[in-house]
Amino acid sequence: MIGFDLVSKRYEGGHQALTDVSFQVGAGEMAFVTGHSGAGKSTLLKLLAMIERPTNGVVTLDGQKLNTVRPGDIPKIRRKLGMVFQDHRLLLDRTVFANVELPLIIGGVSPADRGRRVRAALEKVGLLSYEKQLPEALSTGEQQRVGIARAIVAKPAVLIADEPTGNLDPQLAMEIMSLFAEFQAVGTAVLVASHDLMLIKRMKKRVVVLDHGKLVADVPATEVV
Amino acid sequence: MNAARDARKTPETEATRRSGPRKVGAWREHHAWSMSISLRRLGARPLGTLLTIAVMGVALALPLTFYLLLDNVQRMGDALGRNQSISAFLKPGQNAGVAETAASALRGRPEVADIVVRTPKDGLDELAEVQGFSGALQSLDANPLPYVLSVQPKAGLSADDVNRLVEAMKATPGVDMVQETGAWRQRLDALVGVGGRAVGLLALLLGVAALLVVGNTIRVDIQSRSAEIGVLLLIGASRPFVRRPYLYAGIWLGFLAGVLAVALAVVLELAMAGPVGRLAAAYDGSVSFGALPAWLLLSVPFASAVLGWLGARLVSARQIRRAAAG
Repeated sequence: MIGFDLVSKRYEGGHQALTDVSFQVGAGEMAFVTGHSGAGKSTLLKLLAMIERPTNGVVTLDGQKLNTVRPGDIPKIRRKLGMVFQDHRLLLDRTVFANVELPLIIGGVSPADRGRRVRAALEKVGLLSYEKQLPEALSTGEQQRVGIARAIVAKPAVLIADEPTGNLDPQLAMEIMSLFAEFQAVGTAVLVASHDLMLIKRMKKRVVVLDHGKLVADVPATEVV
Repeated sequence: MNAARDARKTPETEATRRSGPRKVGAWREHHAWSMSISLRRLGARPLGTLLTIAVMGVALALPLTFYLLLDNVQRMGDALGRNQSISAFLKPGQNAGVAETAASALRGRPEVADIVVRTPKDGLDELAEVQGFSGALQSLDANPLPYVLSVQPKAGLSADDVNRLVEAMKATPGVDMVQETGAWRQRLDALVGVGGRAVGLLALLLGVAALLVVGNTIRVDIQSRSAEIGVLLLIGASRPFVRRPYLYAGIWLGFLAGVLAVALAVVLELAMAGPVGRLAAAYDGSVSFGALPAWLLLSVPFASAVLGWLGARLVSARQIRRAAAG
């Protein structure tokens, strides 16, 4: 589902963010990418989201090589991804419902279907009663859950999250991760960048460790202690 | 794993294999959403929206008003010039036969509505009715007045047509001189011609101004929504999708400004109707008020909507590219 094959990324300023990184994440698999600040976690996710292009190597998503995708086809690729950001990136002047509805509008889903699917997604994250609220009226954890509802409402094949629990207390963080595990259980490939080692250990999922842009460990879920 | 993957065929997979009707449905959904979201955004900042519409509306109302004024000046000229006859004085000593021959020759011309032959006796009688002349005329041994052909041109003749008629009258055998009292009409026609050109240029300039006003409004709107644009692009929106609400906003602004321009022009038209009515009464109803034509009133909002769309189109692609890069 997700593939990195000898992927390197060097930014224009000369910073080498990734060097020959190779790993795959299959459908229905969940993996954490961890490492210290500047290890290359976010760059990895940016390559998947096509915000950046690799300098060398091949990034694949659902069997498609992202290196050769034309700029006009990038939106189609991104619609296969559900993205969760540390800062939620919600539209503050729209209601919770309108925020979650956006990927469905982009996908051209009819209003009747949109309503049904948005409510299903909000119910999944426990925020159905908040649908008419503006994001600013919600707590940080609730905002993050709205972001997750928006990421999963179009039932993407791949879910990626960049430090999704960075601003949350441990209990809320665990709830969010449990949600991700539920999506993994129904066949979604989930890739989460996080530096919260305690949380990663508690989740007992596969862990990919980066250090200065190099993959230094790829620990299967069964070996996480 | 493959079974799970197949079981949960995603909407995006469906989306990439959209059939014709589904594509049309998605296109319709996108446009419906863009139309409604653009209206909601304009409604969310009513003062700014109203100011933009007011500036554009007044700018577009100006050429309409000038057009109304010019049209009415032209009508007034037509009406007042309608009864201005041209007099051809025959050479002294010509008889009735020559006068009738000359009149017959001129009656065949397309510019002529009517010709009255006035004999020297008619002229003398008219003069006798003028106070102070009767005593002087009695002292004359013979009637010194010539035959006069009073030519009534057809209504609505152009200055060129009138000139052609005057030249033909001068060239008619037996005619000594031609007196044309409609030179003012020529000047008025020339003046209206200049005014018409000026109104055209003014409409063009104010149209460009309206386009720039919309363009600037949309530019500022896009700048203020750069974060939103970034999010939309990240979650899979194409640039045309992001751009569409701004194009609709330009169309709404243009259309509403066009409606305002028409409303202002109609108000001015109604304000002028009273004074023009009084003027018409003073000229025995020969002057009538010319309202703006219905086709013009109906087409202004749509032409203005096109201007708004164009203004939004000119700035949106570049601004969205910049917002996305930011």
